[in-house]
Amino acid sequence: MSTGAVTAADSDLASCHTCCKLSPASLHRCPRCGATLHLRITDSVQRTVALLITATILYIPANVYPIMVTEYLGVPEASTIMGGVVVLVKLGSIPVAAVIFIASVVVPLAKIAAMFYLTWSVARRKLEGPRRRTKLYVVAEFVGKWSMIDVFVVAILVALVQLQGLLAFYPGIAAYSFAGVVLVTMVAAENFDSRLMWDQLEEKNDSSRT
Amino acid sequence: MDNLIACHGCDLLVDVGNLEDDSRAYCPRCGHFLTRYQRDGMSRVLAYAIAAIVLLLVASSFPFLSFKQAGLESVMTLYGAPGSLARYGMPALGLIVATFIIIVPSLILLLMVMISVPLLIGRRVPWMHAATRAVFALQNWSMAEVFIIGVLVSLVKIMSLATVILGISFWAYSAFSICFILALVSLDRYQCWQLIDQLEAQA
Repeated sequence: MSTGAVTAADSDLASCHTCCKLSPASLHRCPRCGATLHLRITDSVQRTVALLITATILYIPANVYPIMVTEYLGVPEASTIMGGVVVLVKLGSIPVAAVIFIASVVVPLAKIAAMFYLTWSVARRKLEGPRRRTKLYVVAEFVGKWSMIDVFVVAILVALVQLQGLLAFYPGIAAYSFAGVVLVTMVAAENFDSRLMWDQLEEKNDSSRT
Repeated sequence: MDNLIACHGCDLLVDVGNLEDDSRAYCPRCGHFLTRYQRDGMSRVLAYAIAAIVLLLVASSFPFLSFKQAGLESVMTLYGAPGSLARYGMPALGLIVATFIIIVPSLILLLMVMISVPLLIGRRVPWMHAATRAVFALQNWSMAEVFIIGVLVSLVKIMSLATVILGISFWAYSAFSICFILALVSLDRYQCWQLIDQLEAQA
């Protein structure tokens, strides 16, 4: 061990992802909880990239199509995610407009970009800043679910405001795609294995020593 | 190797030793959170889970929000939010919303009770492993707190149109989401499995 860092994999131990028990890597199932054991997530980079591409594609209809239809005095008016933000700004609710803009635009785009960067850095064996990249991964994984705010807003308004003939809200097709973006990026984050970054650092240190 | 944890962020083997009450361990190499020890951790899980269950039942029984305009009034319940998506042509989305705000939190709370009670009274139960695996698989898929923010944003969006009244259910659900998060942070993956090991070693 060139850096003095002993990992579980170096000791031929696999850490169970559900119960944290360390078992010989040759076992297929965790002897304590029965979950499937693996040293690293299988095909982590490919799976993550595939899901990220899916999320990117879903993000397009999520923004192009209306997420909600407002019917005022019988006249329907469709609004997209960005349209909703603009309306809030015009109403003078800057803080709420900012919440929606951050949750629906900044967070998903930043999360997709961060995860693409992380998978790229693993695929290209970039070695710098593994601690910083691990932190980035933890943050990206944490913020993902906050993007659901806009879908919940649609659900609430549709349920609450149904004054037929006067004012009513209906869900738009983009709500589906947007919920899809959030779900798929959450699964993508679960499939990324940050330990790969540290493995590459170890391999580099070992080979420079010999 | 009893007190060894492989860091989930970088796979470093860390000896967490015997942690003091209410202390946390972080990975020295990548900074990832490892575990948190609380002597009364399981009691906390049970207490917060029971409180959350009661609050969720209250939240299910009263109006969540009501909306008044020109003599017309409409009322929304907690189940109305996913239900209305289903009614207006998006049953799958309704199911997703219901899963995140009601079904997953309820399942987690039920599983918490099923895990913490046997551990606290020291009795072996056949469902212990399955229930513990399930609770940790589900824990990232609850969005109760996100829903609360969604409610607040909705309020601002329609405040200018009419009078909106926050119902009992809204306050109950807000309190529920706080208790729920406290229960979740009290349930530590590593410590929970250590307790299960201890229980099974005794028998």
